[in-house]
Amino acid sequence: MMELINTLISTMMSNQVSIPLAEPILELLRDIPLVGEMIALILWRPIFAALICPGLTVGGILLLFFPWIERKLCGRIQWRVGPHEIVWWLGGLIQILADTLRFLFQEVIVHKDAHKHYFLQFPFLSFIAFLLPLLFIPAGNIVAIESPYAIQIMLALICLFPVFILGLGWASNSRFSFIGTVREAFMYFAYEVSFIIAILAMIVLYGTSDMVSIVDKQSIWGIALNPIAALAFFIAAAMATSRLPFEIAEADQEVAAGPHVEYSGIAFGLIYVMCYEKAYVLSGLMTVLFLGGGSAPYIPVITDLLAPLLGDLWGAMWFVLKTIIVMTTLFVLRTIYPRYRLDQGLSIGWGAMLGLSVIALALSLALVAGGVIVI
Amino acid sequence: MEEGEQDRNIRILHSGVFSPLRRWGAKWSLWPCHFVTSCCGVELAHAFACGFDGERLGTLNMGISRQANFIIVEGTITRKMARALRIVWEQMPDPKFVNVIGACGQRGGIFWNSYNITRPSEIVPVDFFVPGCPITPESLLRGVRAVQEKIEGKERTTIKFNKVELPSGGELEERTVPTTPKLFAPTPEIKLDVKRSVDWDFGKELKDLLRKGLKGLYESITITDVNRIAIRATQEKFMEVAQRLKDIMKMDHVKNVNVIEVPHERKYVMEYMVSSYSVDELMPVIISLFTEIGREAEPEFPSLTSLWESANYSEREMHDFFGIEYKGNKGMNGKFLLPPEVDTPLRKDFKIEEEQYVFDEEAPITTPIKLPPDLVMPVPEETLEAAEENDEMVACIGPHHPGSGHLRWIMRLKGDAIVEIIPDPGYVHRSMEKLAENRLYIQNVPLFERANISDPFNMNLGYVRTIENALKIEVPERAKYIRTIMAELSRIGAFFYDCGIYSLFMGHSTGFMYAWAIREMILEAVVRMTGSRCTPSFIIPGGIRRDISDYVLDMTDNFTSAVHKRLKKYEDIFIYNPVFVARTKGVGVLTREDAIRCGLVGPFLRASGIDYDIRKVAPYEAYDKFDWEVTTGDAGDCLGRFMGRYEETKQSLSILKQAVDVVKEMPRGAVISEEALGEYKEASRDIKGHLYHAYGNLVLPKGEWTTVTESARGTVLYSIISDGESNVPYRVRIITPCWMNLRGIIEASKGERVADFWAIYGSFGYFPPEADR
Repeated sequence: MMELINTLISTMMSNQVSIPLAEPILELLRDIPLVGEMIALILWRPIFAALICPGLTVGGILLLFFPWIERKLCGRIQWRVGPHEIVWWLGGLIQILADTLRFLFQEVIVHKDAHKHYFLQFPFLSFIAFLLPLLFIPAGNIVAIESPYAIQIMLALICLFPVFILGLGWASNSRFSFIGTVREAFMYFAYEVSFIIAILAMIVLYGTSDMVSIVDKQSIWGIALNPIAALAFFIAAAMATSRLPFEIAEADQEVAAGPHVEYSGIAFGLIYVMCYEKAYVLSGLMTVLFLGGGSAPYIPVITDLLAPLLGDLWGAMWFVLKTIIVMTTLFVLRTIYPRYRLDQGLSIGWGAMLGLSVIALALSLALVAGGVIVI
Repeated sequence: MEEGEQDRNIRILHSGVFSPLRRWGAKWSLWPCHFVTSCCGVELAHAFACGFDGERLGTLNMGISRQANFIIVEGTITRKMARALRIVWEQMPDPKFVNVIGACGQRGGIFWNSYNITRPSEIVPVDFFVPGCPITPESLLRGVRAVQEKIEGKERTTIKFNKVELPSGGELEERTVPTTPKLFAPTPEIKLDVKRSVDWDFGKELKDLLRKGLKGLYESITITDVNRIAIRATQEKFMEVAQRLKDIMKMDHVKNVNVIEVPHERKYVMEYMVSSYSVDELMPVIISLFTEIGREAEPEFPSLTSLWESANYSEREMHDFFGIEYKGNKGMNGKFLLPPEVDTPLRKDFKIEEEQYVFDEEAPITTPIKLPPDLVMPVPEETLEAAEENDEMVACIGPHHPGSGHLRWIMRLKGDAIVEIIPDPGYVHRSMEKLAENRLYIQNVPLFERANISDPFNMNLGYVRTIENALKIEVPERAKYIRTIMAELSRIGAFFYDCGIYSLFMGHSTGFMYAWAIREMILEAVVRMTGSRCTPSFIIPGGIRRDISDYVLDMTDNFTSAVHKRLKKYEDIFIYNPVFVARTKGVGVLTREDAIRCGLVGPFLRASGIDYDIRKVAPYEAYDKFDWEVTTGDAGDCLGRFMGRYEETKQSLSILKQAVDVVKEMPRGAVISEEALGEYKEASRDIKGHLYHAYGNLVLPKGEWTTVTESARGTVLYSIISDGESNVPYRVRIITPCWMNLRGIIEASKGERVADFWAIYGSFGYFPPEADR
């Protein structure tokens, strides 16, 4: 027994996240019994990745503040202010906290036509499903599960998203959620194929589907190597997260938020953050595939100063920063475009997008075959 | 409202371990559910657009009742809407709050004695009332703040009213507003074909032509005014005359269907006003075809829908109002505009409360509404059956839906295609025509303005022009120009209103904000001119209330150039957005023939290729003095309708500029015609203090007076029937453009995809309060 624990601890200790800046404090804490072990556990790379970055903590903070960023940014673009009065000297920073509390303490209505059990289970179940792909995303050199099939597993999990949304809509059993669900199903098939082909193009280019080595191989960012794949991926991500102009399944003015129309209280709160979560996962994937993951550009002075101090966090920070930029771009689309009709969305998915992704694949093949890129 | 509901939600927030957190969360996260009930919705939208930005307070407008916790009841709650209000309130999760804005929601406001008004406080527990007609955005936000404070536990009242005892007699008596007694003629003589000698050569020609064409069918043909001809026919030959008018005279659409009840003569006068879009010379001519039928318990009349489809909805309306069965019209079972419990309200024996100028403590208001226990909005049986048979789905959109406006659409869907759309209007029917019969002519000015507060000046102008036309008042030149300026400002404002709503329907919130920012500038100009944002009642018979200052003229001038810069941005973000163009191009096409058949009006008619603009066809005010063009298109699709109005707005800006330039050069002088003022000539520069003296006893000459005016969304037709004795109108008929365009929306939507419905609906700029009146 002791042997096992000792092995475990030595495994943990051999694979710790190093943060030189925090080292003096950690050193002190390590000496305290139990706390020391806890810290060793948290700083163990896989656990750190799952719990802190890019997992729960960073994800949670983003979910809490990203809606605020979005609302403020949209407000600016639309010649207004956005949330402001709640703490005026911080520009309404904790607006989403108030919304969350309100949802938390509000009545959850299960209307009589709904399938009660599924109606209540799906929001919670989907939450878990959205978190799983985060395990495979490397933030710098912190990753929970390193696998040569990481991208494939992630894809499989990402493709689960719509199933839960269909479940939500089906359990709601109302007309608008029904129409919205069918729309979601149609859109799902429309973006799925080109989404996978775009990723395939990048796998061909890098010659591996291990996320960590993909990041390592990007001496030139993927977006420069194969911009067409990046474009196809980005549009597919917009479709997958139901962003305008492809906010077809949840069209407020048409089908009254579609699958979510009957949800209230915290059940809706979970659904509300679900789209941000989806966006986070997909933006993370985009960062890894096209924007060099956690690799940091060299900025004189700042890099020299901060990189040694932050250690592993330096890469993680850059990863989060890039992810936020991708997410912001995804969300700002909302202020620029109106909404496509369902059939137009489908024809874009099955037509232009499929074409784009096939061209991207061909480009990758040509680059690899032509020996432009040596893997 | 049930027992114990009042303040229940506040109590919920103040109980439990987490009550401080609950209160804090609820306070900063009041999400109003998007429940537009009446015209105050315009100001609500201003409060949440970029001018005032209600989102600063954390109030995010959310379309869906399940996720919202705050209802802002926007003014009038009609009987029909009352049920919807209760349903929405029941749908929302606890804790939830209700604000009532506008005067109508408190005591009925200007519509207090209408047969269709209820008090929202009897239906749902109300947390706070915001007064105003309409409210201003600032006061709405203050209302939100008040609810926030109420959640915290602070009681807050806005204004404390103190009762004062007024000394009676003496000087004060003179200064109070004189309340002219209403005079109802005991046996009014109603005659639609009063002969008048007018200078109208074409009319004489036309009369001869009609005589020849209708030989032996008519009883009399009379020229009643310039461009107005009345034909009296017997009931038996009515149909035949109508057929001839359609065939020989190319009368292709119905402008108005009217019924006038004359109880003491035991008769109904059935009237159809027809006109022509196909023949250029006949465009300004309106032929009124009428007959008289006996006043039986269940009167019947052959429907003219088979000849003119544009008569359809107006006939159904008359069926609601007078209980007349139009044989051949398919919509005769059930009510169209009215709630089930109100029967034949426009008959003279249906009495409404008499006007009071001072409210008693317990002033009577219309009988309280009883909510049905099941809270279901019924859908016609036959629709459900037909849908069942053909394996279709029935979806009801509205009245509470993020994309419905204040009416309900019943959609029959087959897959993603629309089989049929059935409108269910009347949710904002405030019974203006009945109210107008019980008020003095001058009191009806603010009443009719509220038909459409997004385009108030044109509504106002239409009514006032009818009175001026009847009394043959010549308006001073300066007033004419200023009226033109106002009408054009209003037209531009209404266009941007529709732009904003259209952007929202397309899912484009930035377009909404940009358009409403421009609208805010227009309202600013209107405020400086008149003192009111939406309901100035500034145009009065004979001119305008008072002259406007040079400073405001300069501001309007600046506005015309400032708007171009913002328009450019709006163009970039919305109008030329590829997604918008893809959504609207080739969608909802109405051909020239369709447009005429449906009796479309205004820019939507012009988009289908018919060159009909009343400002050119029968110029009024100063429109014939400017250099401008009528914009027509021939695509007839959503993009065409939208772009047509957009080009028209550019023309309006140009008219505005020209008019301002002229007025600046013009010498100041009378702005109210002295002949209209009679003995109060000194008020010709400013009517202040003399309005009731001068206009209280207005009596129109006997007969029917019809005027058409080009409002922002098309022809608005006022038809006043006067007996020549009473100082209240005997009957006022108002046909608003949206009411006529309703038919077009239905036709254009057939066979299109579900999402296209909003593209079509938005392109028509449908404003339900205007349509329901």
